[in-house]
Formats: sequence, C-alpha cells, structure tokens
Amino acid sequence: MASLDVESLTLDGKNKTTVLCSRCPSKILCPQVGTYVVKEFSLPSMHHKTEGETDTAEDVKDYWQVNDMYHFENIGFSKTIDDRKYLICADCEIGPVGWHDLNTKMNYLALSRVKHTDV
Amino acid sequence: MAKSYDYLFKLLLIGDSGVGKTCVLFRFSEDAFNNTFISTIGIDFKIRTIELDGKKIKLQIWDTAGQERFRTITTAYYRGAMGIMLVYDITNEKSFDNIKNWIRNIEENATTDVEKMLLGNKCDATEKRVVSKEKGEQLAVEYGIKFMETSAKDSINVETAFFSIARDIKAKTEKKLEASNPPKGPGGNKVDLKDTSRTKTNWLSRCSIL
Repeated sequence: MASLDVESLTLDGKNKTTVLCSRCPSKILCPQVGTYVVKEFSLPSMHHKTEGETDTAEDVKDYWQVNDMYHFENIGFSKTIDDRKYLICADCEIGPVGWHDLNTKMNYLALSRVKHTDV
Repeated sequence: MAKSYDYLFKLLLIGDSGVGKTCVLFRFSEDAFNNTFISTIGIDFKIRTIELDGKKIKLQIWDTAGQERFRTITTAYYRGAMGIMLVYDITNEKSFDNIKNWIRNIEENATTDVEKMLLGNKCDATEKRVVSKEKGEQLAVEYGIKFMETSAKDSINVETAFFSIARDIKAKTEKKLEASNPPKGPGGNKVDLKDTSRTKTNWLSRCSIL
C-alpha cells in the first residue's frame, strides 16, 4: 500500500479536507472534525473474501479520531464484537473503514481506507 | 468545537422480511460492496446527515435486521424512535396485508406520537405489481399517515421519503420546543400550564429549559 502523506492531509492536527468513501461518492467527514492519532490496531481487510480463505487483517496505525458518532456526515456501524463496532460506508457498505470503541465511545477512521478531497 | 448539528432523529424501518428494507432503504446504494467480514457480523445502524430549512439534521436509521421474522419486534427496539417507515413490497400482497399487524405492534410498543410513513417499495417492478398504488394510498388515509412508493433500484423517492419524515418530525419537535419554551417579551409571555406537551419532555426540549 502506498504510504500516506499525513502532513498534507492535516491542518492543526485535524483533517484538512472532506473525507469521502474510497469507492463511492458518500461524504464521511467534514473538514476539521477528525483529530489525527496514531494507534496500533489490526483492522480486518476490506477486500472480498473468496471461498476457503480465512479472514485477514492488516496493521493500520493512522486514524482520524472522531469523539462523537454524530460528528460523522454519513457512516454505518456493524453489530458489536469484542466491545467494538466496525465502521462502514453508509452508502455502499464497504468496510471496515475504522472502528467504534464501546467503552470510550471514540471512533477511529483509518486514513488509508478513505479518500481525501484535494484543496 | 461548534455543535455540528441541530437535530438528531432516530428512525426505524419496519415491515416483513424481503420487502427490501435492507437492500434498498437501508443501503441507499444499489451498488453495494459485498464484504464477507461485514455481512457476517451484520449492520446495526447508520447515521446520515441531511439539511432542511438551513438546519443540519442527523438521522440515525435502524433496520430490524431479521427480528421481523418472529413477526414481532421488541419494545427495546422502539425505544427513543421518533419516526417509523412502514415498508411493504408492491409485488407481495402478504407484506401489504401485514402492515396492519405492524401498526398494531407499533401502537403497543412505540410512543404514541411517533411519526409514521407508509412505503410501497420496488415500484420499478411494474409487471409484477399486485398491490395498486390506490390501495396503498387508501391504507395510509385510514391510518392518517403519509404514503409514497419507492424504488432504490431507480432511486425513486427514497431520499424524498427520508426528507419527508424528517420534515414532519422536525415540525413536531419545534412545536414542542415552542410550547415548553414560549417566546418572552411584551405580550408574548402567555404560558399555558395545561399544555400536555410539557408533560412529555424529550431530550431536545430538556436542553432548551435552562
């Protein structure tokens, strides 16, 4: 995966531009809503699983932290597993694009799994 | 940070399984990404943001996610719901007949002032239609609720339906807010203490009483 140019995506530690789904035009976050954080987390893969293949995950560490779920423009939540819910695109349901921690109520959106508009 | 929205409404989608609640109304996009990981866990709810009369409204939309197979939905699911979309399939008579049962279930479990709307789904499938538009309209009139035919396949009225129910809930909420917090000033401070809407304060109206 191409490395992320975090610096060009942030402004005052927050997302500089609008965050969109990587696959469809769904708007996920408005500018300056998510705070950039580094977290070690193994996020299940987004690709289609072929028969017989086991669930894969990748270590993702760059996230937009969103304190309140209602600060998202459009987002979907999976059912609960292990004190968390996974985030998906509200329109095309691609995911997980991040996760929601049920204990802290914090949301983490993976920079590498979304699209950032230019400007 | 400034408040990012003006209103928050919880909406439910209710109707028989197979009427297209999930694949049509809940998904908003025909071109869904079929991810095994997500489809195995299932989806709980979605948050969508719309704008109405310059106000930013957050809709939290819940799908029954298979609960309807038991022909009844528990009270917990209805808790806090401000709007309910009653969905049937225009190509399935039984799903239409069952709307009456769903309305009864709502009356038994949801708050009395919950906003309801009847949706006849899959109106693109004209050749397989068994429930006429008139029948849907009649039923809606009978219950005093709004009616619309929708098709996500062709994106017909799906957005409109959500805007319509949100508009009605917003009007209702603002009326309640006004009743519990009347404009003050000369000649404008009449307070009707018997106003019944005061007895049922929701979280929104509580916020305004400072």
